[in-house]
Amino acid sequence: MSAFTQAIPRWSQGTVMVFRRDFLAWVKYYKSSVILNFGEPLTNLLALGFGLGTYVATMAGVPFIDFIGPGLLAVTAMNAVTFDMAFEGYDRLNENGIYQSMITAPLTVGQIVAGEYIWEGLRSLLYGVVFVVVLAALGLVKSWWALLLPLPLVVTGVLFAAPALWVACRAKNHEQLFYYFTLVITPMYLFSGVFFPITHLPPLVRDAIAITPLFHAVNIMRAMVLGHFYRGLWWDALWMLGYVAILGFLPVRSLARRLAD
Amino acid sequence: MADAVVVAQGLRKRYGNFEAVKGIDFSIELGECFGLLGPNGAGKSTTIRMICCLTEVTGGSLAVMGQQAFPGNLTIKRQLGVVSQDDNLDPSLTVRENAEIHGRFYGLPFRESRQRADELLEFMQLESRVDSQVRSLSGGMRRRLVIARALMGRPRLLILDEPTTGLDPQARMMVWAKIRELRTQGVTVLLTTHYMDEAERLADHLLVMDQGLILERGTPAELIQRVVGEDCLEIRELTDGAMDAICAQLADYSAYLERQVDSLLIYGEEMEAIIESLYGKGLLPRGYYRRRASLEDVFLKLTGKELRD
Repeated sequence: MSAFTQAIPRWSQGTVMVFRRDFLAWVKYYKSSVILNFGEPLTNLLALGFGLGTYVATMAGVPFIDFIGPGLLAVTAMNAVTFDMAFEGYDRLNENGIYQSMITAPLTVGQIVAGEYIWEGLRSLLYGVVFVVVLAALGLVKSWWALLLPLPLVVTGVLFAAPALWVACRAKNHEQLFYYFTLVITPMYLFSGVFFPITHLPPLVRDAIAITPLFHAVNIMRAMVLGHFYRGLWWDALWMLGYVAILGFLPVRSLARRLAD
Repeated sequence: MADAVVVAQGLRKRYGNFEAVKGIDFSIELGECFGLLGPNGAGKSTTIRMICCLTEVTGGSLAVMGQQAFPGNLTIKRQLGVVSQDDNLDPSLTVRENAEIHGRFYGLPFRESRQRADELLEFMQLESRVDSQVRSLSGGMRRRLVIARALMGRPRLLILDEPTTGLDPQARMMVWAKIRELRTQGVTVLLTTHYMDEAERLADHLLVMDQGLILERGTPAELIQRVVGEDCLEIRELTDGAMDAICAQLADYSAYLERQVDSLLIYGEEMEAIIESLYGKGLLPRGYYRRRASLEDVFLKLTGKELRD
């Protein structure tokens, strides 16, 4: 058998096993983790949608709660992945030595990172789908296109896993992880078109928001939930895939350096 | 050399401006237990990390199983089992899952990995704890699990970095017995330890390192013979004055004297004559005893008495 045909199954087994490790670990604590990841966007949806929604009747031509529902879906995916990858990744590297034990086995750093991405993609899908079910139960899903939501959910998961793992590799303590949440994740959550359209903002601000990954995830998911499609969505999809391609490699070097120290 | 599992030639490792390993040569033969000794900061762990393909070799050459070692050399890694200094077990997984998933990292199929995990957990006497959470294990059990995990890939070379540090005497004895048992199965072992009795019991060949260089090498018996001789006279609880008097009295004898705080260690061939001479002058207090020199004596003579780190 040639080296090439031998290399493929081995490569994928390593990656899949890193994913399997995460899944086995998750199965043990998923009950508490579901409530945490899920309670916040749900509270937002109910408080803002039904509370604030009484005063702000419509947003961009649709009822306010219809508008923020899919936005909060994208946020759910982002948060489910970001918090897990940043905190767990930090602990796996600095507290438990899990990456250190993995790298003594015949795994490469690339396989470890890829395994983490598969898990985070699935994680985003799991938490996202539960949220979609809640939206549907509240009558907020308006289109059958919502059945295709798993695609952007998985991409969103991988997209946010990459920078979170990079931050986990660079952070010197837990406090430094909060810089990422406070300076990057929270502003994105507030300004990336989740609660209001960005069309009326000054052009410069609009451009700044248009390069954030969450903005594009929100556009795509909102289109699928509401059934409102327009040509610009292709750009959103392209932006997201571009982010995955570029950010995906970001943590590999940092993790390799940490594991070689 | 045909049977050498590891061959290092002029091996160097530099971290920035600090050179942790400064050009060392050694080889580890198939089937032996090779002990790497030295105080903290000697370069032992760095050497091991290079052999494990975890960190780059910055100078010289290092062949493991006939291949050059570099980070990401999976051909080498597949043949190694690594027991690192820290018990880096996965706290989210059970005892069995820890072993089983590690086997999968080595490419074993599920059934085989599961079966091998159960065999090895039994071998390390953990069969009653297979479904326990790792958190609930004692220090000795954790260490045994780390060893079981390292054996999952059927390694040709087992690397044990301080395998019994922090264990109670019973747990240490058990681990030693298991290491000896593995050796009878033909596993080559590379061991680092701070316990000289452990090195003396387990290792066929020893390398004593300090500050990135090799100080001595040989079998435990050779090292003792060559570095300190066989005989040792140990006199304890001495005042400085009494110690000076003894040293002055022994100036004419070919003896090596080692002062350790309030104890004096005397190594030499003509021990009978030395004892007689000290006794004659009334310099020999009650608190003395004569014993065979050990590896501990070798280590202290070679690496000095100052505390490291």
